Amino acid sequence: MEVKPKSACETCAQFNADGLKKLGVNTTDFDYVVALAGNPNTGKSTVFNAMTGLRQHTGNWPGKTVTRAEGAFEYNRQKFKLVDLPGTYSLLSTSEDEEVARNFILFGKPSVTVIVVDASRLERNLNLVLQILEITNNAVLCLNLMDEAERNNLEIDTRTLARDLGIPVVPTSARYNRGIPELIQTVSELANGKIVCKPHRIKNIPKNIEQALEKLSAEIKQVYPDIPNSRWIALRLLEGDKNIIETLKTGEFV
Amino acid sequence: MFNHTLMDTKKIDHIISLSNDLRWQIGDEFHDNLAEGIYADAAEIVKDSVHKKDEKGTFRIDAKIDKIITSRIWGFPLMFLILAFVLWLTIVGANYPSAMLSGLLLDTVHPALKGFAAAIGMPWWLDGFLIDGVYLAVAWVIAVMLPPMAIFFPLFTLLEDFGYLPRVAFNLDHLFKLSGAHGKQALTMSMGFGCNAAGIVATRIIDSPRERLIAIITNNFSLCNGRWPTQILIATIFVGALVPASYSGVLSLAAVIAIAVLGMVFMFLVSWGLSKTVLKGEVSTFNLELPPYRPPRFWKTIYTSIIDRTLIVLWRAIVFAAPAGAVIWLISNIYLGDASLAAWLIDSLDGFGFLLGLNGVILVAYIVAIPANEIVIPTILMLTVLVTGISAGEGAGVMFELDSVSATGDILRAGGWTLLTAINLMLFSLLHNPCSTTIYTIYKETKSLKWTLVASILPVIMGFVVTFLVAQIWRLWS
Amino acid sequence: MNTYNPITALAVFFALSILAFLFFRPYRGWFWLIRNSSVSNDKIVVEDVLKLLYHNENADKHLNINDIIRTLKYNDRTILECINKMSDHELISIQGDNVKLTQSGSDYALRIVRAHRLWEKFLAEKTGFKEAEWHERAERMEHELSKVDADNLSSQLGNPQFDPHGDPIPTNTGKIAKIKGIPVSELPIGTIGRIVHIKDKPEIIYKQILAENIHIGSVIRIMEKTSARIEFHSEGEAFVLAPIMAGNITVSVLEKDVVFEENLARLSILKENETAKIIGISKEIRGDSRRRLLDLGFVKGAEVQIDLMNPLGDPKAFLIKGTSIALRKNQASKILIQKD
Repeated sequence: MEVKPKSACETCAQFNADGLKKLGVNTTDFDYVVALAGNPNTGKSTVFNAMTGLRQHTGNWPGKTVTRAEGAFEYNRQKFKLVDLPGTYSLLSTSEDEEVARNFILFGKPSVTVIVVDASRLERNLNLVLQILEITNNAVLCLNLMDEAERNNLEIDTRTLARDLGIPVVPTSARYNRGIPELIQTVSELANGKIVCKPHRIKNIPKNIEQALEKLSAEIKQVYPDIPNSRWIALRLLEGDKNIIETLKTGEFV
Repeated sequence: MFNHTLMDTKKIDHIISLSNDLRWQIGDEFHDNLAEGIYADAAEIVKDSVHKKDEKGTFRIDAKIDKIITSRIWGFPLMFLILAFVLWLTIVGANYPSAMLSGLLLDTVHPALKGFAAAIGMPWWLDGFLIDGVYLAVAWVIAVMLPPMAIFFPLFTLLEDFGYLPRVAFNLDHLFKLSGAHGKQALTMSMGFGCNAAGIVATRIIDSPRERLIAIITNNFSLCNGRWPTQILIATIFVGALVPASYSGVLSLAAVIAIAVLGMVFMFLVSWGLSKTVLKGEVSTFNLELPPYRPPRFWKTIYTSIIDRTLIVLWRAIVFAAPAGAVIWLISNIYLGDASLAAWLIDSLDGFGFLLGLNGVILVAYIVAIPANEIVIPTILMLTVLVTGISAGEGAGVMFELDSVSATGDILRAGGWTLLTAINLMLFSLLHNPCSTTIYTIYKETKSLKWTLVASILPVIMGFVVTFLVAQIWRLWS
Repeated sequence: MNTYNPITALAVFFALSILAFLFFRPYRGWFWLIRNSSVSNDKIVVEDVLKLLYHNENADKHLNINDIIRTLKYNDRTILECINKMSDHELISIQGDNVKLTQSGSDYALRIVRAHRLWEKFLAEKTGFKEAEWHERAERMEHELSKVDADNLSSQLGNPQFDPHGDPIPTNTGKIAKIKGIPVSELPIGTIGRIVHIKDKPEIIYKQILAENIHIGSVIRIMEKTSARIEFHSEGEAFVLAPIMAGNITVSVLEKDVVFEENLARLSILKENETAKIIGISKEIRGDSRRRLLDLGFVKGAEVQIDLMNPLGDPKAFLIKGTSIALRKNQASKILIQKD
């Protein structure tokens, strides 16, 4: 496991405050695309605003961002475009929001996906996290609303969590800008390949489905040997996702 | 992109047919099993890394607030108090800045512009078209619309950010369910009291297709703040005059509230009708997450709500109002034979207007004022003066309003207005097509011409029917 | 306005309203009748004859021309004309009195059956129409879907194998899966099985079954059986059916290692301060609603309790996986729980 779990003080020293420039909506000529995904009501838009310096409205409502919003920041002379995806509970259903989020992570091929979760409701949020980790290898868990979790007397062992999920975990309180520098530092390291993830893959799947997935996934790998998410594609094929069937033919996700 | 060899293409076809076969073998339970599997993984991970420190001593203030807000005794009174307070603050609080803005834009800048145009020798028609038409309409919309929206939306947004609004949806859901709608429609409806276009954007929070369409189509039945001033003015002049002066304020207020409540009644009826007929086949799901309370960050919320909601809606309104101003000026100044285009239109619509208990002036005003309800009254006054020939206002095509309510009443009575005209105008102001900003917003949100048409035409037909019936029954009685 | 008086105005108005109603009321409005009659009626009759023959031949019954005329609700002359036309086009062959499908006729019939069942599946998964309406709507739609439409619909739905009644949907190459199962009326006491098919004809019996809230996919256990009644348990409730109804429900028997959950209850009866474990979601909830509930955490094994009551009694908010989610009573009553 090459993951380096980070605590706040570890990263503070590395964080180069002078190298950060929030670029707002100016999203031209970027080096990396970063996707921002998460459940509704996890403060995802607040994280987005904190990273880009924008002031998009963030309501205390599930499902606020319906279309994707884009923003940008510059760190260590590299430009990152940040795409705020609609907040969803899952990526497996047919609603418009989920399709936008799912297709962007799969076909938009972001360099890094930041998954924002509510630290006090981790179990429910992991539903989405585990699905995203089937699609992409490069992700960071933004453990947001830490202030609320502390108020609720929750102790979260971020090292263990990072080990179990196989991706870096950064605790934040985006409302108070806490943890955002560490998050940006981690995103930058992921984008530049300094951290390599080994994401968790879903284990508790009934045998008959697991066998079907393996069979399909093996066949897919024969045609597309280099893709990291053959299992997800197999999953979507079993679901009968028309989009995936089309793109399997064109090879768009390679 | 990828270039496939023939072999690959064959393999891909094989994969797809294999996936079809496997899907058949796995059967219907696939999605259920998968969801259970993922949650099982999640539970294992959480068990490893999340620990709850001692439970005792954790006082959940959230739970206490929730118990009060959703209690049988306090739930509803609290809700009505908050809504009444927000509306009161909006209507009363907006008066002062509105007066200031109109003093500045209409009484100071407008004459100054006219003077400037005269000084550089601008031809009268260009001066009239630009300054009396376009500028005046835009100025009017800003003066009437900006202050209430700048008060209403931040207040609403604060309640939203705090987490109160989902509880309102929760409390009221049963009522809305009876008419086939979603509890969250309570919020989009209240938002419509501020501005229908904003209310329609807000329907995004309803994630069930059928209920969202219902909320979009019926949002127009919420009296928006472009229409409140019309209601209040007409009620004061005509309804308030029915009783001794000391009671007139109360009666006219009651009349306005009655119209707003009538709007809600229509909203429920139409929601019910739609859900039982044309929208029967749309998918309907219900779920409502009650998020934890979060103290809103006051200034940031105010800032973002003004930027995000108020200014965007205002900008759209201006974009639509500018050409409307031009049209109003043009129809009053283009002559066909010996009468202006406006006079022709008014004349030809007078018969139909009479059937509805209205008149040609009102119908023409509503046609040209589709872009913004705010300019209906100024347009009516200008057109009334135009056709009656009494001396008031500033000339053909120049919208105006008078400071004195009684003087306004005199002009309208000279135009042949009666109590019936006033009541039917109030009804028609409630039941007519949405303004063009709203129509445009409906189209953007539904991406469907069909639903945009339904939402635009349905209320105007209802308006015709209701005013017609009221007029006939009124005349039978008197 | 010389001729105006309010009473005439009202009279004219009501006359116009009544006329508009007669024209545009759903289904039987004149406007729809005129529009429908302009669509080629022959095609519908031909397709209905094919379907009738197909279903009867599947049950090893052979029909003659009189049977067809008696069964279909079109006028006799139209049917006769159509039968002649079909025979000319070699969709059917007439041998003596008997009418039989030719190969191309049976292919055609399969295509109609495919369109019908796909449309029912579509109605079940992607629309909000009620279960009792599906069949009738599909009866109309089957004549309008072309082969390409049906293929597109099928791939949009993920190439389903069965329609919502459990009937197999023919593939575009005419393959058709077999229903493996035994009618409830023939199962011995104690059998545990899953409902795989409910006959949607005759309609009276079908609607009775629906009214009992019996659904495809539910697991049942036969409790009692006499010549007059059959009792079984399913999803925490007891059902008593007449043999004629039970005969229309097909069950595939499950292996012994399946645990049949007794003392199930519905989430809707949970009281404040009680906790429970979720056992599953009734098969009555399907499509997007089902997926959404699963995504929200209403999965097998999850702990649930009431978080908030409502001043109007409905909906209630349930605490599930750390979040408060409001569900309406009709949803909560379809979530199966076991109280702690």
